[in-house]
Amino acid sequence: MELQTQVRSPGTGGSRRLFLWKRFKKQKILHLFVGLGMIYLLIFAYTPMFGILMAFKDYSISGGIKGIFTSDWVGLKYFDEFVHDYQFGKLVRNTLVLSLLKVIFAFPAPILLAIMLNEVKHMAFKRLVQTISYLPHFISWVVVVGVSYAFLSADVGVVNKALMAMGFTDEPLAFLTSPNYFWGLAVGSAVWKEMGWWTIIFLAAISGISPSLYEAAEIDGAGRLARIRYITLPGMKGTIVVVLVLTIGSILGGGLVGSNFEQAYLFGNSINNPTSEIVQTYAFRVGLSDGRFSYAAAIDLIQSVISVALIFSSNYIAKRVSGSSLF
Amino acid sequence: MLKSQRQKDFVFDSVIYVVLFVIMLTMLYPFYYVLIASFNKGSDSLLGGVYLWPRNFTLENYRVFMDDPKWVKAFLVSVLRTVSGTLLGLLLTSIVAYGLSHRDLLFSKVYFTVIVFAMYFSGGLIPYYVVLRSLGLLNSFAVYIVPSMLSTFFLLIAISFFREIPAELKESAHIDGAGELTIFFRIILPVSTPVLATMALFMGVGQWNSWLDSAYFVQSEELRTLAFRMMEVINKSNSPMDSLAVANSVSAGVTSFSLQVTSMVVSIVPIICVYPFLQKYFVHGIMLGSVKG
Repeated sequence: MELQTQVRSPGTGGSRRLFLWKRFKKQKILHLFVGLGMIYLLIFAYTPMFGILMAFKDYSISGGIKGIFTSDWVGLKYFDEFVHDYQFGKLVRNTLVLSLLKVIFAFPAPILLAIMLNEVKHMAFKRLVQTISYLPHFISWVVVVGVSYAFLSADVGVVNKALMAMGFTDEPLAFLTSPNYFWGLAVGSAVWKEMGWWTIIFLAAISGISPSLYEAAEIDGAGRLARIRYITLPGMKGTIVVVLVLTIGSILGGGLVGSNFEQAYLFGNSINNPTSEIVQTYAFRVGLSDGRFSYAAAIDLIQSVISVALIFSSNYIAKRVSGSSLF
Repeated sequence: MLKSQRQKDFVFDSVIYVVLFVIMLTMLYPFYYVLIASFNKGSDSLLGGVYLWPRNFTLENYRVFMDDPKWVKAFLVSVLRTVSGTLLGLLLTSIVAYGLSHRDLLFSKVYFTVIVFAMYFSGGLIPYYVVLRSLGLLNSFAVYIVPSMLSTFFLLIAISFFREIPAELKESAHIDGAGELTIFFRIILPVSTPVLATMALFMGVGQWNSWLDSAYFVQSEELRTLAFRMMEVINKSNSPMDSLAVANSVSAGVTSFSLQVTSMVVSIVPIICVYPFLQKYFVHGIMLGSVKG
C-alpha cells in the first residue's frame, strides 16, 4: 500500500520555518479536516490502548478513565491467575484448534473457487455463481446461526428430518448441542459465509495474468490442468501469500476466515462448551458479565500480543520464502 | 490427438460446471428455505418435510411479528441507526480522507503513522468499554453511531480514490475562487459516487447487522436492535434447557421457530434490496487500496 509522498520543502533554518508556517496557513482547512479524524482516533483508538495498563493494575470500574492511571499496580498477578485457571488448557486448545482448522479449510476454498470460475467460459453463468457466492458475506452471524438452527437442530432441523425420513438415523443428531460437532459446524459455516467474498480478490489476481501466457502454453500443448498449475497458480502467488499472511495474523480473532468470537458466542451453549469456549468468549464472560475488568484485560492482552507476533513472523517468513509480503 | 483433447476438455468442463452449480445451490437454498418456512404454518413446519414450497401457506407469522411492539421497535431502531450511522460515517470519513488525499499536506507522515498504528493495534474490548462508559455513551442511541463513524480501513480506501481524481478539477475551481469547503462539497463528493456507494454499502450492512454493541453497551429494552432480538430468540431455542419453548405456540400455529425465520427474512430482505444497486460499485471499490495482485 502506497501511503504518502512527502514533498521536500526548500530552504533551511528560519526561512524554512516561515515557509512551513505559510504552507500550513494555506492548508488550514485541510488540517482542520484531518484534525477531526485525529481527535476521533485519539479518543476511540488510542485511549483504549492506554487501557491496557489496567491488566497490570487493580482496576475498578468506579475509577473511570482516570482509574487506569491511578489504581494500584499488581504486576503480573492477573496473567499468573489466567495461566493457572483450571479452564486454561481447554481455552487455549479450543482457540488454537478452531483457528488452525479454519486456516486449513477456509483459506484454500476461495482459491479453488476462483480457479474454477476462471475456467468458465459462459460469462452469465460465471457472474451468477459469483454474485450468489458472496451474498452470505453480507448476512450477519446471527442470521447464519439462525439458518444453521433451521437446518441442523434436533427438533426442527430440516437435515435431521430428512435423514430420519430416509432412514439414515433413528434419532436426530445433536449437531448444535454436542461438543463433537462444534468445530465442524464453525469451519463449515465460515467457509459458507466467507468463501465467495475472498474469491473476488483471487479472481482479480487471475485477471492480471497476461492472456499471451495461456496462448503460448496452449500452442506448446499444455492441457487445462497444466495451464492451471504452471500459469494460473504462479500468477496468483503474490496475492495468495499476502492473504495468507493476513489470515495467519488474524487467526486468533478469526478475521478473514469468519469471526471466531461471534461463532463461539452464538453457536456456544452449556453442552458444547468443552469445545466451543475460546479465550475471547471467556474474556468476555469474566470481563463484562462478572465485572472482572483487570483479569479480562490481561487475557485480551495476551491474545493481541500473540496476534501481532504472528503477523510479523508470518510476514517475515513469507518474505524469505516467496519474496512477496504484506509490508 | 485433437479429439481426445476435446473429450478431456468436455469432462473437465462438466466437472467444473457441476461443482459450481452445487456450490451455488448450497449458497442459495438456505435463504430460500428460510423464506418458505416463514410462509408456512409454524406448527406444521415442526413436522418436517417442507423442502420446496410452503405446505400450509399462511401470513400469520408476519402478522404476529408486526403486532409485537418489541419486534417493531427493534426494526425501527435498526433502520434509524443504519440511516444515521451510514450518513454520518460517510461524512466524517470523506472529510478526513479528503484532507489526507493532498500529497503536499504538511505532517502527512505523522497523520498516516497515527492511522496505520490504530489499524493494527487496539486496546481490546474491556478498555474500550471503559472509555465508552466514561464518555457517557453506554445505554444511549449514540453508542451505535459515534464510535463507528470512522474506520481506518474505509479511510485508506477513500484516500486512494480521492487521489485518482485529476488535480485539474480542483485547480480550475481554485482559480474561480472556490474555497476548500466548496471544492469538497460541490466537486469532489459528486464525482466520488463509486467510492461513496461502496462505503455506504459496507457501513450500512455493518450497522444493520450489528448486535454486539446492543448486547455489550446497552441495557435499555427500548434500544435493542433487530439483530439483537433475533440473537435472543435463536439463543433461547438453541439452548438445551429451553427446547420446550419451541413447542409452545404463541398464537394460532405460530411457534418461536416460525417467528425466528420470519425475523430472519425481515432482516435479510433490505440487504438483498440494496445489493444489485451497489454491487456494480463495490468490486472495483474494494480493490482500491486493498491487495494489489
